[in-house]
Amino acid sequence: MSEHEIFPCMYEWLTDMDVSLAGNLRRWADNEVMARRLELKESYEQLLEPAMRQLFLEIGLQRLLWPEKYGGDGHNSPKAAVTMVAALEQVSRGDTSIALLLSSMWALQSCMAMEGKENHEACEAFAELFGSQDTLAITSLVLPLFRDEPQARAKLAKGAWSVEAKSARPLASGADAAVFGVLCSGAGSDIPGDEVCVIALPAAAKGIKRGKPFLKTGMAADRNAPVSFDKAKAPEGLCVARGLEACRGMLSWLYLGVAASTVGALFAAYEILKEWGDNRVIKGKGQTFKNNPLTSSVMAEVAREISVSRMLTCDLGRVLSEPGIYGPAGEEGNFVLAEMVANTVTLSAEKAIGGAMEMMASAGYATEWNLERYWRDTKTLQVCLGPYELAKMDYARYFYQSEAR
Amino acid sequence: MRTIDDFTRPLEYLSPMDAPLRKVVREWADNEVIPHRRKFDEDYEEHKLIEPAFDKLMGEYGMQRVLFPSDLGGWGMGGSNYFATAAYMLCEEVSRADSGMGVAFAVVHWPLLLICVEPHVNRELCEEFAPIFCSTTKARFAANAMTEPQGGADIENMDIVRGSTIQTTAVLDGDEWVINGHKLWPTNSGGVCDLFGVVCTTRAGSNDPDDFAFIFVPADTPGVTQGPPYQKAGMAADKNGDIWFENVRVPRPYRAHGPGEDLKYFKEMVALGNTMSVAFAGGALLNVYERLYEFVTETTYKGQPLKEHDAVAGVLADIATDIEVIRVVGYQNARMLDRTDLYGPRWGEELVAKSRAYKYYTCDRAMDVTGKAMNLLSNYGADRDWDIEKHWRDLKIVQLWLGGKQLGQAEVARFFFDLETV
Repeated sequence: MSEHEIFPCMYEWLTDMDVSLAGNLRRWADNEVMARRLELKESYEQLLEPAMRQLFLEIGLQRLLWPEKYGGDGHNSPKAAVTMVAALEQVSRGDTSIALLLSSMWALQSCMAMEGKENHEACEAFAELFGSQDTLAITSLVLPLFRDEPQARAKLAKGAWSVEAKSARPLASGADAAVFGVLCSGAGSDIPGDEVCVIALPAAAKGIKRGKPFLKTGMAADRNAPVSFDKAKAPEGLCVARGLEACRGMLSWLYLGVAASTVGALFAAYEILKEWGDNRVIKGKGQTFKNNPLTSSVMAEVAREISVSRMLTCDLGRVLSEPGIYGPAGEEGNFVLAEMVANTVTLSAEKAIGGAMEMMASAGYATEWNLERYWRDTKTLQVCLGPYELAKMDYARYFYQSEAR
Repeated sequence: MRTIDDFTRPLEYLSPMDAPLRKVVREWADNEVIPHRRKFDEDYEEHKLIEPAFDKLMGEYGMQRVLFPSDLGGWGMGGSNYFATAAYMLCEEVSRADSGMGVAFAVVHWPLLLICVEPHVNRELCEEFAPIFCSTTKARFAANAMTEPQGGADIENMDIVRGSTIQTTAVLDGDEWVINGHKLWPTNSGGVCDLFGVVCTTRAGSNDPDDFAFIFVPADTPGVTQGPPYQKAGMAADKNGDIWFENVRVPRPYRAHGPGEDLKYFKEMVALGNTMSVAFAGGALLNVYERLYEFVTETTYKGQPLKEHDAVAGVLADIATDIEVIRVVGYQNARMLDRTDLYGPRWGEELVAKSRAYKYYTCDRAMDVTGKAMNLLSNYGADRDWDIEKHWRDLKIVQLWLGGKQLGQAEVARFFFDLETV
């Protein structure tokens, strides 16, 4: 039984294309990543980069949500939120770090190319990249590390944005990015909190300096490095989100991607744990792990976390896909919901995969069994969301009109 | 300014050697390990960075000699009333820098415990093996070969399985034991071991305690093969691998004590293993505190240090509380192992079960604390530069060894609730 059947989601929201795409991506994960990683481990050059080229370019995921007019496949409507969930679950089951790179790319695309709200100047500027058949559109988002304090500042003068940041810490891919999506302060609004914007900067823009790549917990496809922007210039039209709601819209899509990527990692963890529970025998009891009440209760909790996480993520996908019903993605309620779902799902994953590792003992932390990589990667997804204590201030403001910051 | 030394230790029962030893090990950690540890993960096979630090601590400073009697070149700690408390402090200090080094250091002494520590010193074997550890300034390693391919926890689950699943056999042939079997995972295997303590059965399938045998095997004995080190989530300084014993012959006296006694003192090893796991975790948490203190003080949010944010302060309080409690519990547990006149023998059911409980509790809290600390660091939480992610990866391994969490739960419940079948 596949995880689609055993872990429920609202199937009626999926299109035939979503189902077909998910099937293709499942095969990609099985053949291009999972079948080869025992031999190639987490090698970027031998395993991850070739797999990414297949995924982004040959299967064409970097063109999927991009407008047809600019060389994409034209699925650039809010409905793509559901497609994104279906795709990222499968990609992340194969490799969670690649799923994060896709999430970043689709989040940036969502605020420059959404049907009916296209930023034509930006679409024109990035058509060659996102429509490319041979260049990976690696996208690096530079977001606030601590809630509403951007790392970068932008200034508009003479029809161009100038972006400043010293040694900013991107969400991912600072070393490899072809495009940076930089959330900046300084958008010039008189409304408190509204003076933020997202500037899309081509990596070739003058004034961008990348630091030395650093070592991380996991996420091997993400080669990250600090990035400085020294008056990096972008035409005025490359401001792809202006004001709090627009910036939050991008973050809501990113959080959806983080949640879906986490669910995909949980699927992989489930498969590994199931194999262990089916076959491993507790000698003193003569029982397989799944038939022992103590260990089966651990397995049950893992399944509970996966089921609820998937349902929540699919619900969030539906909310973002139907702005006519639920409002824009960046509306405060939707943003808080996205933040809540991403935090809840990543905390669930920490608990679930940690529990599975505890049951598998040394096999849980041996690279050979692969479980530990999903544990490292989902924890990284969690910290990408920023400190949970600060996220809770957003919840309190929305639900209780708290002024705590 | 607060430091890690503000976390409580029960001062009235620290070893008389506590202060000087602690000073030496802390300086070693600060100078020889902490500046290099971010590159340890890539060094898991070669140990080019790790080995010099081990040489200094164990060979030059002599920490690998501590258990042996002083007339054999050791420090005589095996006869000390402060043996467990001193060991706890050493493991905590080493693990503050790197808990992989902490366990590798501790396991050098783990099999030697059976022959070097009162009241069950085996003088003949001390004399036999003291030269390996006491006549060199290079690090030497010992390992406990317990886990087998068919199951790890089963070997350690003596009260239920009683050794019946052990497949490594020891057969007496004249004045020699002939050992055959395949072991996995011991700390200090993966090619570095000099002396193995091997858990065997003298009668395959038997659950008679007399058939449980603990036999020492020098690693250069013909028939011993060590595989390469495994790659793991963390703990690169602790090499683990396969070991094959094929018609390995060792002298008859290499059995630690003999029928019944080997199993008895093996349980003592389980108790000590759990207690020192608390020290590994507690030491790593002290460094989590140090690094987190630095981060939340230097990083500003809303114009103030991050630590001054009320909600963040709540999390910092939770973290400090857990570290404080773990340290007190750990030293208390070590003291219980030193005062066997009050708490019973170290191999007794009570101390074995209680040490499991402390380890089980500590590791759960340690994972929670470290996970929360990573989260407070935002995206930096997953960067190696801040070290907390390293401790998080290492601590998970401490949580999972010695039979994993469920065996710990079973043993604790069995003792406190008089279970009969679990």
